[in-house]
Formats: sequence, C-alpha cells, structure tokens
Amino acid sequence: MRQQFADTMLAVGQEDPNLVVLVGDISHFILQPFAKACPGRYYNVGICEAAIVTMAAGLAKVGFYPVVHTIAPFIIERPFEHIKLDFCYQKLGGNIVTVGSAFDYATLGCTHHCYDDFALIKTLPGTQITYPACPVEFDVLFRQTYRNNALTLFRVPGQQHGQDFTARDIKFGRGIKVTEGSNLTVIATGPQLGNALASRDALDDMGWHAEILYIHTIRPLDMELIRASVNKTRRVLVIEEHMRSGGLGDDVLRGTINIPDVRYAFLSIPDEFVTGYGSYQEHCDHLGLNREGILNIVRNEFGTGGGR
Amino acid sequence: MNEDLRRKIAQMVYDGKDGHMPSAFSIIDIIEVLYRDFLKFDAKNPQWPERDYFILSKGHGCLALYVILERHGFISSRDIAMFCKSGGILGEHPDCTKVPGAEASTGSLGHGLPLAVGIALGLRLKGMNNKIYVLVGDGECHEGSIWEAANVANNLQLGNLCVIVDWNGSAAQLMPRDDLVAKWRAFGWEVMVIDGHSDSELHGAFGRVRFQAKGTPTAIIAKTVKGKGVPMIEGHGQWHHRIPTEEELRIIMEALS
Repeated sequence: MRQQFADTMLAVGQEDPNLVVLVGDISHFILQPFAKACPGRYYNVGICEAAIVTMAAGLAKVGFYPVVHTIAPFIIERPFEHIKLDFCYQKLGGNIVTVGSAFDYATLGCTHHCYDDFALIKTLPGTQITYPACPVEFDVLFRQTYRNNALTLFRVPGQQHGQDFTARDIKFGRGIKVTEGSNLTVIATGPQLGNALASRDALDDMGWHAEILYIHTIRPLDMELIRASVNKTRRVLVIEEHMRSGGLGDDVLRGTINIPDVRYAFLSIPDEFVTGYGSYQEHCDHLGLNREGILNIVRNEFGTGGGR
Repeated sequence: MNEDLRRKIAQMVYDGKDGHMPSAFSIIDIIEVLYRDFLKFDAKNPQWPERDYFILSKGHGCLALYVILERHGFISSRDIAMFCKSGGILGEHPDCTKVPGAEASTGSLGHGLPLAVGIALGLRLKGMNNKIYVLVGDGECHEGSIWEAANVANNLQLGNLCVIVDWNGSAAQLMPRDDLVAKWRAFGWEVMVIDGHSDSELHGAFGRVRFQAKGTPTAIIAKTVKGKGVPMIEGHGQWHHRIPTEEELRIIMEALS
C-alpha cells in the first residue's frame, strides 16, 4: 500500500505542478522517484509534525495541493489543533496520508497506534476520510479528491482486504455492495473486508445470508447504500479497526435510526488501549477481529437460523 | 507616536466591551510603519498575488491590525463600529475568511510562524518575490511550534521571511530566562534588536532586511512596552483584558491627546 502511495505521488506529481509532498522522516526512500521527477516539491522536513501541518496549510494558501505524510498518531493526534485551525477553520484544502493504521505497528506499542482517527477528523467541519485497503483504491480516491479544497485523511493500512477491485468500482463517497444477501447486512471497512467474506459461508450455514457492504470512504458516508440494505435485512454488523466511540458504527447507527426493528452488533476496538505485543494478526485475534469473531458476535447478538 | 490610532483602539474596546488594548498598543507602531512604507498591497484587491504578506501571529493584538486595515481602506468605519458585535466581521481574534486584508486566522498562539514558513516556501517555489512578515509575541515564543518553524525556516533558507518579535516582557513574567536574541541567533537567524516604538529604528530595521529568495531569514527583536502611551495601563497587570469605565476612558484619551 505504501508503495502505491509513492507511485501515485510520482504519477500525479508529474501531471500537476502544484502537488507538494511533506514527510516527517518516513517513506523517504520510496518517495525518491517523486523527489527526482518533481524538483523542489518534496521535503523530508524533520521531526516536527505541528510545523509540518501548518506549513502545508501555508502552501495551500498560495495555491499548492499539499500532502503531509508520517505515522498516524504523530500527524493526527499530536498536531490535531493545527489541522483544525490552519486547514479547517481557514477553509484550506490539503491531504494527510498516514501509515500505521490502528495497530499496524503491532510490536511498537501504544505510542505508535492510532485507532481514534476517524473520530477525531470527523469532528472537524468539511473534512473527508478515506480508508483504501487495496492499491487501486488509494490511487483512484487520491486522484478524485486531492484538489477539491477539503482536508482529506487517507488512512493507509499495512494489510489489504484481498479483493481485486478495478478503478471503475471505486468512487469517492460510494460504498460497494460486494455480495447480495437477504437477512444480515455486514458493513466492513479496511482489511476487515477479507474476514467478512471469509465468514460468509459459515454465516449461510447459520441461516444468515449476508449482504456485505464495503466502505472505503468513511466521510462522506454512503448512507443511501447502507439504508437500502438495512431496510431489507434489519440486522447489521459493523466491523472496523477503530475504537467503538466515534467510528463507522456510530454513523451507521445514527443514519439508520428511523428504520424500525433493526438490531445492531459492532465489532471494533473496545474502550481500552491495545497494550499487548505480537503480530497484526495476533492483535486482530485478541480483539475478535477475525472470522471466528464475526461468527461469535452474530451468534451471540442475533442467534442462529436467521430472523426474517 | 500614533496617538490617533491608539485613541481609536481605546474607543473600540470601550464600545465593543472587549479587546486586548495593551497588547495592541505594544505593536501598533510596528504595524503602522510596515503598512505605511514597506508592505506592497492593494486594498481593493486584498488577494493580489504580488502583494507582500503580513501575518499577525499574536492574534489577540488584532485591534492594532484592524485600525491599520481601516486606515488603508481594507475595511470600513462601520466594520470598526461593529467590533465584537453580532453581525460584525471583527472579533477579538482575526478571522481571515471574514476580514479583508487579514492573512491568517490566529488566536491560538504558535500558528502564524509555521503558516508563514509554508507561504514563504510556496511563493519561492512559484518564483515570486513577495516579502513575508510575521509578528509574534515574546510570550508566544514559549510555544514549541515557533521553534519548530524557526528551525525549518533556517534549514530551508527562507530569506524571504522576516519575523518581528514583540518583546514586551510578557514571556519573562513566567520564564525569566528570556534571552530572545540569543535564542533566535542560535536557530541561525539574522537578528536585529530595535526599539519597537521608534519610527526611525523601525524604518532602519525594515530597510536592512535583505529579502533574498534563498538566504538567512531575519528576526527583528522589537523592544516594546505593553500598553505603550498610557501610563495607567502600561505593564503586565490587570489591563491585559480589561474594559475601561467611562472615567478610565477619559483618562486614556487625555493621555493620548
């Protein structure tokens, strides 16, 4: 995924002389082709994220399309007020491309984790949030948004969901109905789409015919797609590598609240720090963000045999 | 110096029932000289691409900026009369999406300088020779983002950038080890120290800034007096955010007459 970020910067940078990339000493080597092809428009600024964010706003003020890039907690949580005041309040557009989604940096501990970024950025008026989990998604979503005068977060995960979407499948602000179903809507974002698909046959065996929706744009959220599915199924499971509070699940709940007789389940990160070590997959297993976790929560919340 | 502008500021605070009068008196002479003799601008076209930029990073001093913007035709006397009132465009901190001529929305300290660094870098990339001035407070220099930006500006050799530090002693109230000259020099900036209320010293300093596309950025450390011009409010006491009574306004106006 990170290589796709570098490839897209190179391609777009050669087409658009107003693209400028600022990094905080991350991805420096893979961005060298961009640096060479676009002289004067690549800066490995230093370890100073607040200054990087506001510098980028200054670049936007004089007509550039800035991209700032480093590890998620350092560029979202630490300089949050700079994002709020210098981009959003001043109505300047820009792009934040993060690595280290959720607990991707599994062994580095909580200092390098970031699973509150949807919640934080959603509080800022006019912002956009994307979560591309296959290379073509990043490329397409970046091209569709990078100069639309909004502050856009691209949460780039280390893992992919494994689906071969094409560029034609991807449209900013639109979810993708991956499978048709009848009595259960499974809404997945990021790499967790892979687990949603892996659980489908077993859910079928339990009597739950899952309609799987994939969400790459967290904000603006495709409520039309979600509501149409929930209207049909009246059972919803949301899966995301984000804290429960302020995540995708909250928006799904709010956006469907006037549909009667809906039951919900949420598979996300509970209200606690992920303090363990091990691999990304081991963190997922610990949190139940896997096939078995999906089957368990559906069984526990909705029972077996299908409800409708 | 600038008694008329100070009187207008005092009246705005009295009428608007809000505002940081001593902070504005501390910087009004600096801004007045800049707009009178150094900044290139077009009040009828505030976004003129060839303009010079003035960013007031210590946003709470904005009354000084507002009266200058009115003097040069960016905003009207009606805007001034509506200071801090519902429906007006002028608040206690400048909002650049509302105020013509205000280059940045500031108020939270430590933002104006890194913004100016981005502007200076961007304009240099475009091959333009605009000058970028940013005024920061000495108390604001407690903020880490100021020094992040100072470090970046020197490393990027932003010679088109000039910082003016309003050294009125606010910082030393809390952190007395306050050698701003040594600090800015240590960060690699060209440093001048002047009397920030002296027309001739301000002219001399602004005239000496070299403004190269690529070169050492300049810091003008302006020694100032908070509340300058009115003995009753000078210094660091209760007047920081105090609204004068009718009698106090009379005393202030008399001191400025």
